[in-house]
Amino acid sequence: MRVGSTFNIAFRALRRNKLRSVLTALGIIIGVAAVIAMVGIGNGAKAQVEAQIASLGQNIILVFSGSTTSSGIRTGWGGAGTLKIEDAEAIRREVSGVTAVSEEVVSTTQVAAGNQNWFTRIYGESADYLDIRQWPLADGSPFTPQDVRSANKVCVIGRTTATQIYGNDDPIGQVLRVKNVPFTITGVLTPKGLSAQGVDQDDIVIMPYTSAMKRVAGGTTLRNINVQVGDANQMNAAQKQIIDLLRQRHNIRPGRDDDFTVRSQQEIADAATATTNVMTGLLGAIAGVSLVVGGIGIMNIMLVSVTERTREIGTRMAVGAHGRDILTQFLIEAISLSSVGGVLGIIIGIAAAKTIAITRHWPALISPGSIVIAFLVSAAVGIFFGFYPARKAAALDPIEALRYE
Amino acid sequence: MNNGTVVRLSDVHKTYRTGEMEVHAVRGVSLEIQRGEFVALMGASGSGKSTLMNILGCLDRPTAGRYVLDESDVSALNRDQLADIRNNKIGFVFQNFNLLPRTSARENVELPLLYGRRGLTNAQLREKADAVLASVGLEGREDHHPSQLSGGQQQRVAIARALINGPEVVLADEPTGNLDSRTSIEIMGIFQQLNERGITIIMVTHEQDIAAYARRNVMMRDGLILNDHSVSQRFDAAAELEKLARSTNES
Ligand SMILES: Nc1ncnc2c1ncn2[C@@H]1O[C@H](COP(=O)(O)OP(=O)(O)OP(=O)(O)O)[C@@H](O)[C@H]1O
Ligand SMILES: [Mg+2]
Repeated sequence: MRVGSTFNIAFRALRRNKLRSVLTALGIIIGVAAVIAMVGIGNGAKAQVEAQIASLGQNIILVFSGSTTSSGIRTGWGGAGTLKIEDAEAIRREVSGVTAVSEEVVSTTQVAAGNQNWFTRIYGESADYLDIRQWPLADGSPFTPQDVRSANKVCVIGRTTATQIYGNDDPIGQVLRVKNVPFTITGVLTPKGLSAQGVDQDDIVIMPYTSAMKRVAGGTTLRNINVQVGDANQMNAAQKQIIDLLRQRHNIRPGRDDDFTVRSQQEIADAATATTNVMTGLLGAIAGVSLVVGGIGIMNIMLVSVTERTREIGTRMAVGAHGRDILTQFLIEAISLSSVGGVLGIIIGIAAAKTIAITRHWPALISPGSIVIAFLVSAAVGIFFGFYPARKAAALDPIEALRYE
Repeated sequence: MNNGTVVRLSDVHKTYRTGEMEVHAVRGVSLEIQRGEFVALMGASGSGKSTLMNILGCLDRPTAGRYVLDESDVSALNRDQLADIRNNKIGFVFQNFNLLPRTSARENVELPLLYGRRGLTNAQLREKADAVLASVGLEGREDHHPSQLSGGQQQRVAIARALINGPEVVLADEPTGNLDSRTSIEIMGIFQQLNERGITIIMVTHEQDIAAYARRNVMMRDGLILNDHSVSQRFDAAAELEKLARSTNES
């Protein structure tokens, strides 16, 4: 019951200094809101990156032309032009467990239809590509293995490209001029939205890689080869076989570096996750600093308040307050400020994270765990930064305190 | 409740040490005060009155000697025990009122109850505080803050706060020191009424006029009691106020 009245006393004291209480809590509000928003945004970005890497497809091995140095720093994937069509065919033929392969060439160029122009990315792929990426068509039909063999002038296009050129008209069956070569559109892809890097994934034309190499990009080498393996357990073996096969085909002597790079989807995901983790950590740390600053604000105000309220403390002691009562009162004042600030900060932080997430098309990921932690941290900030001033107040001598001017 | 001695000081000393200097503020005071007495403690500045009051009020401990309050020895109690004694048995009235600023009269009066061990509800606190405020003539002023009250009214709030826990003894160190003469007489009137109800009062004052409202005067000098006598021509506050009213009407 003594504790109950100490709460009563502390709340009365806070009420007496409304403006100051609000301003003190503001430091914590901003700190907690920043932490919640930053971590939420970071987690959202991470989830986005992970979703995108998952959308590469299941059990994917990517083979890029160009090497990594022995220290692991890449010199540019797809740069050196070392992968041949025959390499892809060899993988298809010889590596066990492989269920699908797509040869990939990429270029950016102007496409046109009627009087509409649009600058877009052209992906040359095999007929398996859309299956590998698990990227269904919204409308129409995909190009066929026959189209790939014959290097037919057919393509499927992304939603953005479709709207930019055809507006509301149905693009299927229409002719799209790519570098002045007329291609017939057979299908429109389902929209995928922005990538984590902010690239519009629906701004794309996908055609047989044979057509792309012969009629659009020129050149005889592939940027990369997408390999799909039937079973996750076969991934490591397949990866090793691919490396051995390509080293042999490229006549690379033992001890020399590969002139290609093999990465499993998992490795890419891990690297990306590590990057976003660092980013989330950094954002959180910066926000955490502001939380500490908020805590110091509480300590500052509580210290000023102890000095300013010395006479009050003396009076309380004169009418029977124990040192412990004074200690608890000041602690409760500090914790109330910090935890009320914490709750408001959580609400504002969630709102901020959601707002930013919506404008950047990210999911805002606010886990219940981070809310609980934010609340506990803000209460702990109150205890930590409130304790010293509270102890100072409790140690005052009643007579000295009463005499204090 | 006993009807005998409330306060018994035996050879009480208080020595302050500030660095090399020793100040013997109280140098062997023995004093007995019975229940229902109204004592005025007088003496020159620096004679040790406040020091003695602080000891009587359990705000401070004697350096030597014994202090028995209400039949229990309080000279060797620790901080928390003294705090409980102050809460239960003592009501302190200060020269400068020492009310909590920006806090209503009612909440100021409730303060000792909050530190008591009774666990009253807010409604009970309020009821008790309002009753005591009414008894010192502050009905209708319960919600006023100290800044909205005159000095005399503030001192009444302080007296109400001293009374709320039903103390054995009310201690007042120069309660009229900050008040004009008329308001001082009003405060003395309240003390006399309380004393009529059997409450023991010990107050420090510099003024002979104020001391004359008490029943007994104790004179101090240099930390010792110089003399101790009962008041022969006692002032009655009600009568004095009436006289004052008449004289202002005439002029
Ligand atoms: N905390 C202290 N430290 C050192 N000396 C003190 C302290 N308090 C009081 N004294 C000294 O003790 C002596 C008695 O002081 P006290 O306050 O009791 O006098 P007083 O009779 O109340 O005087 P006044 O009428 O001016 O209030 C004085 O010499 C004073 O300087
Ligand atoms: Mg004094």
